[in-house]
Amino acid sequence: MGEKKREFWRWTEYNWHNPDVNPKDAEAITGGVDVGAVSTQAVIMTDGALYALASMRTGSDSPDSARNAMNWAMEDSGLAIDDLHYTVGTGYGRVNVPFAQRAITEIACHARGANFIYGPSVRTVLDMGGQDCKAIHCDEKGKVTAFLMNDKCAAGTGRGMEVFADLLSVPIEEMGDMSLDVEKEPPMVSSTCVVFAKSEAVGLLREGWPKSKVLAAYHAAMAHRVVNLLDRIGMEKEFAITGGISKNTGIVTRLKRELGVEPLATEYDAQIAGAIGAALFAQDLLLKQRNEI
Amino acid sequence: MAAVLPIHYPRSLLRAFNVLPIEVWGPPQIDAGLGAAHLQAYVCSIVRNALAFLLSGGLEVTDLIVVPHACDSLQGLGSILIDFIQPRQDVLPLYLPRGNGERHIGYLIDELRAMYERLSKTTQRAPGDDELMASIQREETADEFLAELHQQRGKLTTYDFYRLIRAREYLPAEGFIELAQDILKQQGASRTAGIPIVFSGIVPEPMSLLQSITEAGGEVVADDLACCGRRLYPPGTSKDPFRRMAERLLGVPPDPTLGSPISARLEHLLGMVKKGEAKGVVFYSVKFCEPELFDLPMLRDGLQEAGVPSLTIEVDLSDPLSHQARTRIEAFLEMIA
Repeated sequence: MGEKKREFWRWTEYNWHNPDVNPKDAEAITGGVDVGAVSTQAVIMTDGALYALASMRTGSDSPDSARNAMNWAMEDSGLAIDDLHYTVGTGYGRVNVPFAQRAITEIACHARGANFIYGPSVRTVLDMGGQDCKAIHCDEKGKVTAFLMNDKCAAGTGRGMEVFADLLSVPIEEMGDMSLDVEKEPPMVSSTCVVFAKSEAVGLLREGWPKSKVLAAYHAAMAHRVVNLLDRIGMEKEFAITGGISKNTGIVTRLKRELGVEPLATEYDAQIAGAIGAALFAQDLLLKQRNEI
Repeated sequence: MAAVLPIHYPRSLLRAFNVLPIEVWGPPQIDAGLGAAHLQAYVCSIVRNALAFLLSGGLEVTDLIVVPHACDSLQGLGSILIDFIQPRQDVLPLYLPRGNGERHIGYLIDELRAMYERLSKTTQRAPGDDELMASIQREETADEFLAELHQQRGKLTTYDFYRLIRAREYLPAEGFIELAQDILKQQGASRTAGIPIVFSGIVPEPMSLLQSITEAGGEVVADDLACCGRRLYPPGTSKDPFRRMAERLLGVPPDPTLGSPISARLEHLLGMVKKGEAKGVVFYSVKFCEPELFDLPMLRDGLQEAGVPSLTIEVDLSDPLSHQARTRIEAFLEMIA
């Protein structure tokens, strides 16, 4: 009685800033805030270099989420929101970032952010977010040249993974590795709809399937669905994955298998690509504004 | 008053019988449950909503229902109404030919004559050729103003322009002419020039979509919409009223529901892109609209070959404009800017 139920879907929220940089020395302090359906990332860049970031769950109020994430990114930095010279909002809550001067879509921002994180050779970006998936083509400057979205359901997205984490009582950050802990890939769950897939998974558990096998069946189906999206737009090398699902080894490994292409690796957290892209756009817009003055 | 379903029908014939046509494009965002009970799940929301609207009493003010055979779903709706629903109003189907050659015109003349007989029986009137010609000329004048508004669309914002020209769906010709004259008298452009795009599809619903385009920095410079640009009926020449009505109805820009070949549609789209210096084409389709969806892949391939980017958005008229649709439009405009 009274014991708090463990929430397996919860992923690690964190913040970081570069202690070796004094942001007040910078000529341009720009912000990027990616208010997604599931998570919010705030990034601060000083003269085009990553200075600070925060990644946290999106609350029920987008302006609050944006403000909280940016304040957390600024923790111990001596900065306040008013110190930002220019801020761009992105993500589904992009128009609800109260301190942003512009809103730019997450499609443009993820392409730009992937260009920063993975380098100018990136031509195909797969953004696997909380609520939808996007396959994006971009040029050497990170400008979008084509895109496709799966925005009709939660299949292959962070939200779907969260549902499965709670269903199976497996911490979300362990799901990917656990899904690979099978001797042989089981048949994929037949439905890509999260609601139906959940029902199917319950049936499989009742049949005695271990959690790892159920997860393998779900991860394989999700990866396959995303491959279909990439097939439609066409795969151009180099290939990079952004968004929260980029951290899921079960999906990434299966994507590699199906596509026969190794995604680019990075030391950055690819979940912040959208916010980085937004901060880079903010830098461009700030310079443009200053030149016009 | 006649409730008229999409797309092509002889306005002048109805008006000659003193019947005012009110078009029913959906309507959008209504409870479609009553309609869904009679239709397969793959029938589009224009047909489903229209049936729901009728069954919920929305068309009680009308005396007639005209169902042109634009597609299989509309033809099916006509049959369901006549055979099963049997509404209080007379239901007049209109079978349109798939082509615009001489034999197609001949066929349509016969259809229009049959419709004349049906209208005559319903209204107890029998307008002569002079009355028919007067009605035709009034509609031709309204259509000339409509074409002129399309030419001078820059006087209005995208949203205001489509609100204005869609008044043709319910206003009598003389009312529309008055409205058009007022707008055409206005000087200069009032809108802010945005990223030029061509809009293709059936109907721009929800209309807030057009505001979203403007807010995202876009501007529709030409359209290939079934309810708008595909209904720029040319003035007729024949002295025979039935031939004149038939020639006008079949003289429109390429339209898949009239059997236009894809090559003609592509050429038309590319022509609009060139003339309007558009940077891309947005295909805005109603889910399950077969005539649109059959052509779509080839049209997009053709545009791509010509270096014209395009975007497809599918909507259900029962739903509000989704965040995802807005994101797609904004991202497309960012891409082509």
